[in-house]
Amino acid sequence: MGLSRRDFLKATAAAAAFAAAGAAVLKPKASEAAEAGIKWDKAPCRFCGTGCGVLVGVKEGKIVATKGDPAAPVNRGFNCIKGYFLSKILYGKDRLTKPLIRKGDKMVEASWDEAMTLIASKFKEAIEKHGPDSVAIYGSGQWTVFEGYAASKLFKGGIGTNNIEVNARLCMASAVTGFMTTFASDEPMGCYDDLDLGDTYFLWGANMAECHPVLFSRLIDNRLKNPRVKIIDFGTRRTRTSQMADKYIKFKPQTDLALLNAIAHVIVRDKLYDEAFIKSHVVFKKGKTNIGYGMEDKFKFADDPKPMTFDEYKEFLKTYTPEYVAELSGVPAETIVEMAHLYADKSRKVNSLWTMGFNQHTRGTWVNNLAYNVHLLTGKICKPGENPMSLTGQPSACGTTREVGTFTHRLPADMVVTDPEHRAKAEKIWGIPAGKIPAKPTYNATEMFRALDRGDIKVVWTQVTNPFQSLPNLNRYRKGARKGDGRFIIVSDMYPTQSTEVADVILPSASWVEKEGVFGNAERRTHQWYKMVEPPGEARNDLWQIIELARRLGHGNLFPYKYIEKEIWEEYRKFGEGQGKDLAPYETYTKTRGLRWPVVNGKETLYRYAEGHDPYVKTGEGIKFYKNKKDGGKAVIWARPYEPAAEAPDKQYPFWLCTGRVLEHWHTGTMTGRVPELKRAYPSAVCEMHPDDAKKLGIENLQKVKITSRRGTIILPVDLNGRGKAEEGNIFVAFFDENKLINELCIDAYCPISGEPDFKKCAVKVEKV
Amino acid sequence: MPVSGIVVRCLDGCADAVAGRIAAFEGVEVHGVLPDGRIVAVVEADTVQGEVDIVSRLHEVEDVITVHLAYHNFEDI
Repeated sequence: MGLSRRDFLKATAAAAAFAAAGAAVLKPKASEAAEAGIKWDKAPCRFCGTGCGVLVGVKEGKIVATKGDPAAPVNRGFNCIKGYFLSKILYGKDRLTKPLIRKGDKMVEASWDEAMTLIASKFKEAIEKHGPDSVAIYGSGQWTVFEGYAASKLFKGGIGTNNIEVNARLCMASAVTGFMTTFASDEPMGCYDDLDLGDTYFLWGANMAECHPVLFSRLIDNRLKNPRVKIIDFGTRRTRTSQMADKYIKFKPQTDLALLNAIAHVIVRDKLYDEAFIKSHVVFKKGKTNIGYGMEDKFKFADDPKPMTFDEYKEFLKTYTPEYVAELSGVPAETIVEMAHLYADKSRKVNSLWTMGFNQHTRGTWVNNLAYNVHLLTGKICKPGENPMSLTGQPSACGTTREVGTFTHRLPADMVVTDPEHRAKAEKIWGIPAGKIPAKPTYNATEMFRALDRGDIKVVWTQVTNPFQSLPNLNRYRKGARKGDGRFIIVSDMYPTQSTEVADVILPSASWVEKEGVFGNAERRTHQWYKMVEPPGEARNDLWQIIELARRLGHGNLFPYKYIEKEIWEEYRKFGEGQGKDLAPYETYTKTRGLRWPVVNGKETLYRYAEGHDPYVKTGEGIKFYKNKKDGGKAVIWARPYEPAAEAPDKQYPFWLCTGRVLEHWHTGTMTGRVPELKRAYPSAVCEMHPDDAKKLGIENLQKVKITSRRGTIILPVDLNGRGKAEEGNIFVAFFDENKLINELCIDAYCPISGEPDFKKCAVKVEKV
Repeated sequence: MPVSGIVVRCLDGCADAVAGRIAAFEGVEVHGVLPDGRIVAVVEADTVQGEVDIVSRLHEVEDVITVHLAYHNFEDI
């Protein structure tokens, strides 16, 4: 390796950075020579739901370089720090390369045929003895569209069970039910362009600077160009995002429900609402109250929506005076009034952004509804630069789990198993007998693992996810998995995880550019990539694994494809055609950096429900929430009250525990934790605590403490000077660390409407060790 | 040795000062300051670990808002 080649590589790196920054710099000819032999192709990033474009450089069968894709509209040539690890993720030393079968306490290497024969026999045995609802598959928002689609088709259309769930239930389910109850169609009306075009941004429980850094940069760039731009951070923890916001407003956990109602109260009280918009585009409804927390096994809930008038809604809001909510939330009454006026300011383009703070909430659906209420009252919706936007955490939480519908109750394109017409449509497209898809949903994710614990489910196959680290009240579900008595766990993954530890069979999987795929991001953008390198050893694509099981169970006829990915795509897109969920032919995506659906006549849609943008809205209609047919194409403002959390601090357990992510790690750390570099930047979990709380307990920085909830105990060092700072009465612990399973402490209480557990709120005590 | 091209965004009017601060880091070469105040730099270290350590520390430098990765070549490790 000569010195001069190195200089050329550096010149190449600089030229790429200049180009990404929009400055024209000619690449020296010699630097092109330094890159000789590298073949570049496009892919979406493997990590979060932002959906950044990456150019992947391959030489002699290995990835040797990556670039932020300058042609990708999401990230325009930049990646966040996780970009350093994209390619190395595939090359960890402990990569799984052979199927493994449990023999007593040992996992023993096996051939694919042995492993698949055993798996198929366990499926057949359970189905024969206990019926199809005794087998299940649990995937994730990291499944490609093809994998999720094949799994759904096999389980719902072949085996005949609705036992398919995804980790998105732990992550995005409340966003889905929020969209469905308010607009009768999942996913946002706006897109990332709103980050550049708006001037007022309310962040609710979203640490964008660390968790969506590329999107946060777009926001910051907007502010640098436009001094009018304001970023307001509502949170229960002071973060890097709060530091850069114009205003940080701390509130007590769970009181976001009351705050949004108080903002609506002031908007109504001070007549700041858009009466014409409301008249044309909104209906009012109320649902059940005191709806429970899903803490008991087999919990069931069905809402009972009742129409109400605007006047009745105004009456409902009367309770939520700024003074009452100030008391409840800790936010001063004058701040609430100021924020309501900012939301309603007619000269401002207002956006709300949120992620897990809203979604992982025992009233997650409600709090999503309440955010939409404010936008619907003020008419600040479906316009360039003014929209509510729910951000996502996984690369295909939208594309796969939500759009393909890999939840127990869903089918592709927003359809549900409970609707006979929807089932009939799916059965027709899938070419299966009428009545094959069961009409009743079975279990949400938490209930699925409760059923495994009870023994109602015998066989569970997990792919691209790590439930035995990421579920709440983890102790119960980890023990349940190893209870024996016919229980059988199959885990497909690329690395050993906390879930492979409890597995009976481990299947080595191909990942990211080791296979062809499609992901869909948070702004409805569908992004395709081709296989670029071979997976290591005998690792195989999850799609192949699903189809191989189907074949062995006698359902091979469901997958009669030659070019599997393309043919699945063409079949899948029939579901959304003419439904406002149109997708383009496969070839179109091979040539673009993604398109936002609905894609009609080759044109993507930036703003749904808006005339001139959305082809489903006719001339003269302006804005039309056309998916909500039963309410005449109008959206719903819901009267949703404040109700307390499932568990709140008391004398015995005086602190709130909140869990979440940090910049250097992603989810349970199975990919980022592999890479020693990331481990070093943020090696293990710490307990963030407010210095005054630490002082009261006599705890010093980095001293170890014992944290205990009603469900578990963990020992961690306290961090008083970290990037994130807990507010008084709160502690925060990230959940990536496989050696410190904080989720053992979390409560498995969930939103009765979405089924999504609350990882942000439970009660703990903190003691010196 | 891995090499990466990065773009640093800093507070308004601070680009020259920040460029000076980050140029003092071992393994960082400042290649230019753009008219809009962004700084283009090249990071190199013996390992990717070294690069990430540098970039993590750049995030903490006074007046730095964001550090973005544009290009990463790790062919030689």
